[in-house]
Amino acid sequence: MTLTIPTFSLISIGPWLTLALGAILILLVDALSKGRKTYFPYFSLAVLALAAFQTIDLWGAQSTDFARMVYVDNFAFLFYLILILGAALTILLSRPYLEEWGKDMGEYYALILFATVGMMMMAASAHMIMIFLGLEVMSIAVYVLAGFFREDARSNEAALKYLVLGAFASAFLLFGMAFLYGAAGGSLYLDELAKRLTDAATLTKPLTLLAIALLVVGFGFKVAAVPFHMWTPDVYEGAPTSITAYMAVAVKAAAFAAFARVFFLAFPAFHVNWHMLLWVLAVATMTLGNVVAIAQTNIKRMLAYSSIAHAGYILVALVAANQLGAVSILYYLLAYTLMNIGAFGVVILVARKKDSYLNIYDYSGLAYQHPGLAAGMAVFMFALAGMPPTAGFVGKFYIFSAAVQAGYIWLAILGVMNSLVSVYYYLRITVLMYMRPAEADLGPIAFTPAVTACVIATAVATVLVGIFPGWFYDLAMNSVKIFPSL
Amino acid sequence: MIQYVWLIPVFPLMGFLINGLYGKRLPKNLVGTIGAGVIGLSFALTVAIFLEFLKLPAASRPVEIVVYNWIAAGKFSVPIGFLVDPLSLIMLLVVSGVSFLIHIYSVGYMHDDPGFPRFFTYLNLFVFFMLILVGANNFLMMFVGWEGVGLCSYLLIGYWYEKQSASDAGKKAFVVNRIGDFGFLLGMFLLFWTFGTLNFREVFALAGRYPVGSGIITAATLLLFVGATGKSAQIPLYTWLPDAMEGPTPVSALIHAATMVTAGVYMVARCSALYALAPFSLTVVATIGALTAIFAATMGMAQFDIKRVLAYSTVSQLGYMFLACGVGAFVAGIFHLMTHAFFKALLFLGAGSVSHAVSGELDMRRMGGLKDHIPITYRTFLIATLAIAGIFPFAGFFSKDEILFHALVDGNYFYWGIGTVAAFITAFYMFRAVYMVFFGESRVDPHVAHHVHESPPLMTVPLMILAFLSIVGGFVGFPIIEGGHKFKEFLSPSITPVGHGGHPPVSLEIGLMAFSMAVAAIGIYTAYKLYMLRPDLPGWLAEKFRVPYDLIYNKYYVDQIYDTIVVEPIKSGSTLLWTQVDDKVVDGAVNGSASTVAWLSAHLRRLETGFLQNYALAIVLGVTLVVGYLLG
Amino acid sequence: MMAYIFFALAGIALISGVLVVFQTHPLRSALWLIVNFFAVAGIYLLAHAEFIAAIQIIVYAGAIMVLFLFVIMLLNLRQPEEEAARPWFGQKLAGITLAALVAFILVYGFSKAEVPLAKAAPPGLGNTESIARLLFTDYLLPFEVTSVLLLVAIVGAVVLAKSKLK
Repeated sequence: MTLTIPTFSLISIGPWLTLALGAILILLVDALSKGRKTYFPYFSLAVLALAAFQTIDLWGAQSTDFARMVYVDNFAFLFYLILILGAALTILLSRPYLEEWGKDMGEYYALILFATVGMMMMAASAHMIMIFLGLEVMSIAVYVLAGFFREDARSNEAALKYLVLGAFASAFLLFGMAFLYGAAGGSLYLDELAKRLTDAATLTKPLTLLAIALLVVGFGFKVAAVPFHMWTPDVYEGAPTSITAYMAVAVKAAAFAAFARVFFLAFPAFHVNWHMLLWVLAVATMTLGNVVAIAQTNIKRMLAYSSIAHAGYILVALVAANQLGAVSILYYLLAYTLMNIGAFGVVILVARKKDSYLNIYDYSGLAYQHPGLAAGMAVFMFALAGMPPTAGFVGKFYIFSAAVQAGYIWLAILGVMNSLVSVYYYLRITVLMYMRPAEADLGPIAFTPAVTACVIATAVATVLVGIFPGWFYDLAMNSVKIFPSL
Repeated sequence: MIQYVWLIPVFPLMGFLINGLYGKRLPKNLVGTIGAGVIGLSFALTVAIFLEFLKLPAASRPVEIVVYNWIAAGKFSVPIGFLVDPLSLIMLLVVSGVSFLIHIYSVGYMHDDPGFPRFFTYLNLFVFFMLILVGANNFLMMFVGWEGVGLCSYLLIGYWYEKQSASDAGKKAFVVNRIGDFGFLLGMFLLFWTFGTLNFREVFALAGRYPVGSGIITAATLLLFVGATGKSAQIPLYTWLPDAMEGPTPVSALIHAATMVTAGVYMVARCSALYALAPFSLTVVATIGALTAIFAATMGMAQFDIKRVLAYSTVSQLGYMFLACGVGAFVAGIFHLMTHAFFKALLFLGAGSVSHAVSGELDMRRMGGLKDHIPITYRTFLIATLAIAGIFPFAGFFSKDEILFHALVDGNYFYWGIGTVAAFITAFYMFRAVYMVFFGESRVDPHVAHHVHESPPLMTVPLMILAFLSIVGGFVGFPIIEGGHKFKEFLSPSITPVGHGGHPPVSLEIGLMAFSMAVAAIGIYTAYKLYMLRPDLPGWLAEKFRVPYDLIYNKYYVDQIYDTIVVEPIKSGSTLLWTQVDDKVVDGAVNGSASTVAWLSAHLRRLETGFLQNYALAIVLGVTLVVGYLLG
Repeated sequence: MMAYIFFALAGIALISGVLVVFQTHPLRSALWLIVNFFAVAGIYLLAHAEFIAAIQIIVYAGAIMVLFLFVIMLLNLRQPEEEAARPWFGQKLAGITLAALVAFILVYGFSKAEVPLAKAAPPGLGNTESIARLLFTDYLLPFEVTSVLLLVAIVGAVVLAKSKLK
C-alpha cells in the first residue's frame, strides 16, 4: 500500500509551534534544574513576541494547509495577535500576584502558552474537528489555571465548576457537530458545509437547525451568553485574578473567533434562523449582565457580569453579520482585551494580601491616596461604559452601526439602552474613588514594575486605540474579506 | 490661521494633562497660570481666526478643517473635523472668552481650596470638551463633546465630595443627562441610517430633498431634542440643574449657566436646517421652551438660596432660547444665548463674590445691606440684574425683546403671552434677590459681619469685564435701524430661516419694546414694594396662599414624583432580578465559600449537593429553549 | 437481523446509562458504565468500525475503568454519602422534565429530517488500515494536535496533584 502524506508547511502554523515549544521548554527547564526560576515570565513574553513576529511575517497569506485543516489567512492572524496580546498582558500581571500566593511556578506560564495555542487553533480551524481540539486544549489549560491556587477553596470551586460544566457544554458542541456531519452528508470542512447545506437545505433542514442550535449552546457557554452564563460569576470570582482577566478576554476572543468563522462561513443559507436566535440571546445577555452587575459589591463579580454584558454586545455584531459587524467583533475584542485586563490589573494592585480588598467599597477615596492608579481605573471604567473618546466607545459605535446597517434598529436601540444602564455600575467605582473619603487608610500599594507597566500601557492604549481606530479598522477590514457571504 | 482651528481645544487639553499629571507637585500660582493661560491662548486664537474669517469672501465660507479620519466604517467615515462658520465662531468666542474670565476668577475664588490643581484639571478638561462640542463638523464628534462636558460637569458638581449632597447631585446630573444622551444617540443613529453620513453639511444638504413634515426628520429632530432637554435642563429633565449648584460657584457660572447648558440650544440652532423641515418638532421645542420658561420662573420666586434662584432663572432663560428656536427665530435664540452667557456668568460670579464676602453663606435670609461693603460686586450684580430683567439698554433687553417680538409677529400669541409673563416674574425674583442681598437691614451672622470684605482684584476684574459686556453686548443686535442688526447679518449663513417674510412696521417694534420695558418695570416695582417698602408682606402672602406657595416652594414636588415612579422601581427591579432570578441559583454557593472554610472535601461535597447541578440544569433549560426555538 | 441486534444493544446502552446515574454507590455506577461501554462497542461493530470498537473496549472499558475503580476503592467510599448525594425534589422534577423535553425535541428533529441514507460501506472501512490512512493524510494535523491536548492534560493533572509545592 502507498500512503501519500499531504504536503504541508510548518511555517503556516509557526506561531502555534513557537508557543508550544516554548511551553515545553519551560516545563523541561523547570523539571531539570534546581532553584527558583525568575526568568519564566520574561521567557514567555519573548516567546509570545516571537510568535507575534511570525504572525506578522505571515500576514497577507491566504490559503489552507494540512489537507485543508487550517486556514492561513488574515482573519486568523489578527486573532492571533489579539490572543498574543491578551496572553502577554496577563503574564505581565501575574508574577507578583503569584508570588504573594507562593505559586510562582513554571507550569503556570506553560499552561498560559498552551491555552493560547488552543485558542489560535480555534481561530484558524477550517474543520470542525480542529475547532473541537483547539477548544479542548484551551479549556483544559484554563480549567487547571482557574484552580491553580489549589489551597484556596474558592479557586478549587471555580476550577471544578468550570470543568464539569465545560465538559457538559463541550458535549453539546460535539453533539451538534455530529448532527452536522449527518446533515451535510459526511463532511465537516467549513467551506464545504456551506455548499452542501445549501444543496441539501430542504431535505435536512431540521437536522441542520438542531446542529446549529447545539453549536450555539457550545459556543454560548464559552462566551458566557445567557442562559449559559451561570458559571461565569462563580468561576471569575474564584479563579486567580490574573486568570480571570485572561478568561474574560482571551477565552472569549477565541470562542468568538470560531463562532464567527463557523456561522459566517458555514451557515449563510440559514441566516434567517440563527440571526433571530442570536438576536434574542444578545438582548438577554446584554440585559441580564448589565442589570445584575448593578447589584454586585465584589469587584471581580461585578466585572464577571460586565463580561457577560460585553459578550452580549459582541453577539449583536454577530447578528448584524455584515462586514462592519465582523470588523467590529475584532475591534471590540481588541478594545475589551485592553480595557478589561487593565481593570483587572488595578484590581490585582488594590487587592493585596491574598485578595483581601475585593469589595468595591475598598476603592473609596483611592483617588486621594493613589491618584495615578485611580486615574487608570477611571479610564478603564469609562472605556467599559463606552464613553468617548476611548476604545470602548468606538467599539460600541462600530457594533451598533453595523446593526443599524443590517437593519436591526431595535437591536441597536436595546444595545444603546444597555450601555446606558451599564454606566451606572462602572460610574459607581469612579464615584467611590473620587467622591468618597477612604473608609480607612488603604495603606501602601506595591507598584511592581510589571503590573504598573501593564496598567499604564493598557490605559494609554485604551485611549489611543479610541482616538486612532483607523489603522486597526483597516487591518480588520482586510481580514474579514475572507467571508464571501458578508 | 483658520487651518489651526484644531489648536483651540488642544490648548485646554494640554492644560488638563499638565495639571492632571504634575499639578500636585507644581506651585499653586503656576497651576493657576497654566489653567487660565491655556484658555487665554484658546481665546486669543479664536479671536484671530474670527478676524481672519471676517475678511474671507463669502464664497469661501464656511471652512471645514479635517484633521484626520477618526472612525471609518466602509464608505462612511467620521473625521476629527472642525466646521468654521459664523455659528461655531460665535460659540467658540463665547465659550473661550467667558471661560477665560471665569478661570481667572477661579484662581482667586479657589485659592484656599486644597484641591486647587484638581479643580483646574477638571475645568480645563471641561473647556476642551466644550470647544470640541461647538467646533465639531459632525454629529459624532459633537456627541463626544456632549458626553465629555457631561462627565466634567458631574466631576465638578461633586467636587466637594465630602459633602454627601454634592456627590449625590453629581450622580443625579450624570444619570439624568444620560437619559437625554440616549435620545441624542438614537437621533444620531436615525440620521446615520437615513443619510449614511453624520457630517453636518452633508446631512443638511441631503435633508433638503425631504418634504416638510417628513416622518423621519421629525423623529430625528425630536430625538435630538430629547438630548437637548437633558443637557439644557428643560422639562422634563431639568431637575438636575438646581441640585448642580452644589458645585463650586465658578463651575455654576461656567458650566451651569454660560456654556454647557446652552449646548442644547446650540445643537438645535445648528440643526436649523432639519428643524425647518419638521414643523411639529418646532412646535414641541417652542412649547417645551415656553412651559419651562414660566414653570422655572415661578419656582425661582420662592427660593432663598441665591444660587438656586439663579439656577431656576437659568432654566427659565434656556426655555426662552428654545422658545425662540421653536418659533423659527434661531438667530434670536443664539443672540440670547450669548447675552445670557455674559449676564448669567456675571450673576453667578457675583453671587460667588457675595458668598466669599460673607464666609460662604448662600441663604439670602442671612444677607442684606451688603451694598456698601462690597460696592464692586453690588454694581456689577445690579448691571447683570438689569440685563436679565430686560431693561434698555442692557444686553438682555435686545435679545429677549427679539424673541418676544418674533413670537408675536408669527402670530404665536400663546408663546408671546407666556414669554411676557415669564419676563415679569423674572424681573420680580431677580430684584427680590438684589433687595434681599444688598439692601435693607443686615441679617448677616454677627460673627461674620465684622469681616465682610470685597473680593480681590483677580475676582473683581472679571466681574467688571462681564459687566461691560452685559451693557454693550446687545448693541450688535440693534433691531430698528436698517442694517443695525450686525449679529443677524453675520449669523444668517449658518441658519435656515423658518416662516415669515416681510418687515412688520417699526411702530409695532417700538411699541412692543415699550411694553416689555413696562412689564419689567412692574416686576421690579413689585419686588421693591414687597421687599423694600413692606417687608412683612411676603410672609403674609405666603400664609394667605399656603397651597400654591408650598407647591412652588417644594418645586412642585417633581423630584419626589420622579423618585417614586422612576428611580425606586428601577432600583428594586435590579435587586429583584439579581436576588430572585440570578442569585437564588448562582450566589448561594459563594456566600458560603467566602467564609474561611478550608476543607476541600467539605466543599466538594457541598458542591455536589446541588448548586452545580442547578447550573447544569440551567444549561439544559437553555438547550431546550434554543433547540425548541429553532425547530419550533 | 442487524436491526434487532442494534436495538438490543441500544437498549442495553440506554438502560445501563440510566443505571449509572441512579446508583448511589460509585462502585456500582462504574460497573454499569462498563456494561454501557460494551454495548456501545457492539454498536460500533455493527457500523463496521471494528477498530473503534476494539479501542472502546481496551481503552475505556479496560484501562480507564480500571483506573476509576482503583480510585474509588482507594478513596474508600464504601458508604454512599447520604446527605451529600440527595438532590431536592424540585431538581429531580426539573431535570426529568427538561431531559424529556430535550429527548422529545431531538426525536422530533430527526423525524422531520430526511437524512440521506449512508451508502454501503466500502470494504475495509473502519479497519485499522483505513483509519491509519486517514490519520496520516486528511487528519494529520488533528492527530498531532491530540498529542498537545494530552500533554496539557498531563501537565494539568500534575499541577493539581503533585504533593510538594516549591
